[in-house]
Amino acid sequence: MADMVQRIAKKLYQGDIEAVGELVQDALDAGMAPGEVLKDALLAGMDEVGRDFKEGVLFVPEVLFAARAMHAGMDLLRPLLADSEIASSGKCVLGTVKGDLHDIGKNLVTMMLEGGGFEAIDLGIDLEPGTFVDAVREHKPDVVGMSALLTTTMLQMKATIEALEEAGLRDSVKIMIGGAPVTAAFAVQIGADAYAPDAATAVEMARELMA
Amino acid sequence: MEHPQTNVNAQITPHYRGMTDDQCRLIHRASLEILERTGVLLYYQPAVDLLKKAGCYVEENRVRIPAHLVEWALRAAPSHIRLYDRSGKPALQLGDRISNFGTGSDCLHILDHRTNERRDALCQDIVDGIRVADAMPHIDFIMSMFLPSDAPDAADVRQMEGMLNYSAKPICFVTYEWEGTAEIIDMLEVVAGGAEQLQARPTAILYINPTSGFRHNEEALRKLMYVAEKHLPCVYWPEVGRGLTCPITFAGAMACSNAGHLAGLVIAQLVNEGAPVALCTAVPFSLDMKTMVVPYVDPDCKAFGLEMSHYYNLPAFNWGGMSDSKLLDEQAIMEATLSLFVATINGGNLIHDVGYMESGLMGSLELVVICDEIISWLKASMQGLEINEETLALDVIHEHALSGDFLGAEHTLRHVREDWQPRLIDRHNYEQWMAGGGTSMRERARAKIDEILGAEPRHILPPDIEKRIRTITERVIAASGGISLKD
Ligand code: B12
Repeated sequence: MADMVQRIAKKLYQGDIEAVGELVQDALDAGMAPGEVLKDALLAGMDEVGRDFKEGVLFVPEVLFAARAMHAGMDLLRPLLADSEIASSGKCVLGTVKGDLHDIGKNLVTMMLEGGGFEAIDLGIDLEPGTFVDAVREHKPDVVGMSALLTTTMLQMKATIEALEEAGLRDSVKIMIGGAPVTAAFAVQIGADAYAPDAATAVEMARELMA
Repeated sequence: MEHPQTNVNAQITPHYRGMTDDQCRLIHRASLEILERTGVLLYYQPAVDLLKKAGCYVEENRVRIPAHLVEWALRAAPSHIRLYDRSGKPALQLGDRISNFGTGSDCLHILDHRTNERRDALCQDIVDGIRVADAMPHIDFIMSMFLPSDAPDAADVRQMEGMLNYSAKPICFVTYEWEGTAEIIDMLEVVAGGAEQLQARPTAILYINPTSGFRHNEEALRKLMYVAEKHLPCVYWPEVGRGLTCPITFAGAMACSNAGHLAGLVIAQLVNEGAPVALCTAVPFSLDMKTMVVPYVDPDCKAFGLEMSHYYNLPAFNWGGMSDSKLLDEQAIMEATLSLFVATINGGNLIHDVGYMESGLMGSLELVVICDEIISWLKASMQGLEINEETLALDVIHEHALSGDFLGAEHTLRHVREDWQPRLIDRHNYEQWMAGGGTSMRERARAKIDEILGAEPRHILPPDIEKRIRTITERVIAASGGISLKD
């Protein structure tokens, strides 16, 4: 079994989507518990990917393909897992606020959150506060992530938080913000729950918010 | 020359070409295929309507542009843009491989030359930055360097006010949204003495950054069509990111970048045949796939993609004189120098972002002053070789060679002042240098800044014009609701 776990983790690290799917199936056929495959092979494998990315060993697309491989394995496990085991990672919705078209950072945060085992829903760019409100109603996420790269559009983050308050939804979610001009102090000032300076830290922050 | 002689081309400058004609043709052809087959998304209905009327294939907002239309636009666009200074004198030629240099816009932070600390930029920094850039003999145009944290509302209008008040040099400007763009152009018209005067002698060029080569956002298109209508110059730069919004491989990335530019060019020419547009043609940007930072300086940015602008005979926009360093250290100077050199040999016409640091997030006045010296050096080193009787000096050689005394030759006296002279670089011997204070180049740059800022600011505009500009600024600030981060 330990060998199986190792092989899945290795293929996951290599971003080999097909092989991870096949090996996860093999592990299940061999009688390994779905929860164990998830935790010991997929999530542990992704942790190593995350670590090596932070260390500067891996490149972004390599992380993306590893995340996809993990999700290929997850898709097989999901029907077999107990609800409690699935819900463990959490759900995020993310978007770039109104008036702002910068999306590279937001896309990377979305990708890294997925890699970190979150379900991350990308709402897009140039989003009205109302769009975030609707998305919270529809998806019932744990975390709402907002991105802004312009000083002018940073203020839309505040407007969005106010819109969530008005809709009575503010307390149902944690709010995380980021983007080049955004600071931790600004997050406090507008009543967001967390700020992260980069995508890798965003995953750590999201985990903390879930705890 | 005394005797007629053919086939001599002696007055040449250093030669460099990043791409061959055949390579240019291949990229051009690929871009035409992209525009015809894949097309672009335009998020502004008047632009879609315009292209439809011109014979493009349109499905909702997806527009496929036929090759003949692109080639018509390439013929219609002017090969040169002339920018004028505030007195109405021609100041810059944008075209061919003539390089002009200027600062960048909208840095959030400043590396304060007084404290050597990074801090949020303030309104006063905008004024200081413009005054320093204005005083630099080799900074040819200005872009207001900073985004003021103490007045973020209508910051683009405030920046324009500062540029008009404190420098007479041509301006390259950014507007954040559609709102404010018309007012900023009003300001320029007021200063020029009217819309027609500005059109005849433009003093500024609008810098437009659409979302990508494939997705042209509403604001960008609206701005493009607005200035084209008014026959005012703009830079249209749909940036594509390698591995992000276009292929990671250079040829494909360059073709995508080029296609995006050509789409913009077609729109501008359809609005107004002959509309002046500068392009950054086939230069994609990169993301550092390890750190997730967009580096402003990188050796394989393939600045030679500008060769496409030359191939099309259109003005070329690019960048130089910046660094990704957080300190004004060896990396900063190395990157600033190399980027200026690469921009110049690639024949960029509007080389901006001098003084940028930290991936476009921080500006340094000291770096601007040091770059001024680097640019001056580059200008001298790119100067062509002049061969004629006087410079070859055969008679002088014959007279003085054997005695070895050229110092006393009258010919030497005649030409001695032609050599390049440094302003910041030190060439004293050790004792002289020590006697002069034993300063570093950076300390000398700092002293220069203090000297410039210590002087009385010169007022460029007559008081009544200055007042009218103020009124426009105030109107825009009021309309923006006067929001402030300090709320
Ligand atoms: C690429 C770029 C563009 C591209 C964007 C392409 C795209 N599809 O996104 C284009 C060319 C379209 C563009 C346009 C403009 N831009 Co721009 N752009 C940049 C640039 C060079 C890099 C941004 C980037 O993608 N970085 C890479 C990503 C990965 O980094 P990031 O976004 O910071 O994200 C990281 C973190 O911040 C964090 N993060 C980001 N989002 C989130 C969200 C959450 C929830 C969390 C936790 C974390 C997080 O994690 C990310 C990964 O580590 C920056 C300079 C810079 N260094 O930031 C200027 C910059 C942001 N742009 C600037 C400007 C002025 C503009 C324009 C107004 C210019 C114009 N007038 O045409 C337009 C605005 C258009 C609009 N309405 O949005 C200024 C902004 C100044 C300001 N703060 O107001 C900057 C700083 C450059 C400058 N000095 O002039 N731009």
